[in-house]
Amino acid sequence: MTTIVGIKTKEGVVLGSDKRASKGFFIGSKITQKIAKIDDTLAIAIAGQLSDAEYLIKVAKAERKLMELRRGFPLDVKESTKLIANLAYSGLRNYQPYYVELLVAGVDQDGGHVFVADMSGAITNEDFAASGSGSPIAYGVLESVYNKDLTNEQAKEIANKAVAAAMERDPGSGNGIDLLAIPNLLVKEVPS
Amino acid sequence: MSEDSGFGRYTNFYGPQGRLVLVDSALEAVQRGSTTIGIKTPEFALISSHIKPTRTLIDPSEKIFAIDSHVGATGSGYIGDILQLIDELRVEAQRHRLTFENPIDVNSLAKHLGTFLHRYTIYAVRPQAASVIISGVDQKGVQLYQVDPSGTFFGGSGFAIGQSSDVALTEIQRGYSGDMNIEQAVKLSNKAIEKALGERPVVETGLVTSKEKIFRKIPQ
Repeated sequence: MTTIVGIKTKEGVVLGSDKRASKGFFIGSKITQKIAKIDDTLAIAIAGQLSDAEYLIKVAKAERKLMELRRGFPLDVKESTKLIANLAYSGLRNYQPYYVELLVAGVDQDGGHVFVADMSGAITNEDFAASGSGSPIAYGVLESVYNKDLTNEQAKEIANKAVAAAMERDPGSGNGIDLLAIPNLLVKEVPS
Repeated sequence: MSEDSGFGRYTNFYGPQGRLVLVDSALEAVQRGSTTIGIKTPEFALISSHIKPTRTLIDPSEKIFAIDSHVGATGSGYIGDILQLIDELRVEAQRHRLTFENPIDVNSLAKHLGTFLHRYTIYAVRPQAASVIISGVDQKGVQLYQVDPSGTFFGGSGFAIGQSSDVALTEIQRGYSGDMNIEQAVKLSNKAIEKALGERPVVETGLVTSKEKIFRKIPQ
């Protein structure tokens, strides 16, 4: 169930999600937060088992903070994604997989990144991505309008459209949309 | 079985006066470390440590450490031991966040480090030659703790450890007032370290305030 989308832009990244948590054919919650902000540079959108996702995010948050304290500068987006994927992979190998597909999105020295991390521990680096039961519908929108020169504001509109379209036809998604835009860290200095 | 202590091949923990000799030695080692200070008022806590001069090509080691966003610590003694204890604090702070989804309180941190250090006093191992001063803000306000190699920990408003710490502590006692501002406290801690060493020292300083609740190093 769920629809989540992530879009990489020239200004950073944008995440979008619906707010429905399903319990079978019943709507368990209409105000679920599916975008977890890790800090000002990183956020994770959740699809799948909420408890599993929350646990992975919690552990990743702690490990990330520890690493930052130890080495004096934060993990970049790929390192953070790998941290979560490592946990997911060890879960898979122990026959107790974390039932999740996560969109890890954030900004670092190299700009915005959108990664997809799933229960197998696989990571893919994407320009845009969608996950959850509504993802085929969301992808329809994303594929038709995405380009590399989007601003965060434009990407927010597209993310909104993609999730809205999914909510129209996917019974697992609905009850409103959350959006999060993360702007790039660096305003590159103009060489004088 | 040739030792006259009667403990066989085992380390003799207690000296003739009933003191733990290994712990005493560790405290002795701390006394030779760089002079390190903690000052607390209801508004803020400040920790400061003397940076011993090194050869020009060698960078001096860091002495003020962030433990979590709201806690910072420093120490005196063997730097390797200090680093080990700092990491133990950092891990415990994150462990607390994992379990309770809340930042850890400073007393729990000090207690944890006390327990950690105490373990080294009951087995035939080398106790950690480092005292640590922890500063932070929690539900109960600004906190300052000192933890010693014996596992003893205590809260307070003014601490000094390391070389000539008694001189430094006397200086802090003399200059301390509960309503001093940050600038005055920085001045006082600098003065205390200067008095202890008899020269103008290079120091590293960290600060946490009740208003901001975030631990930061103060740029020199």
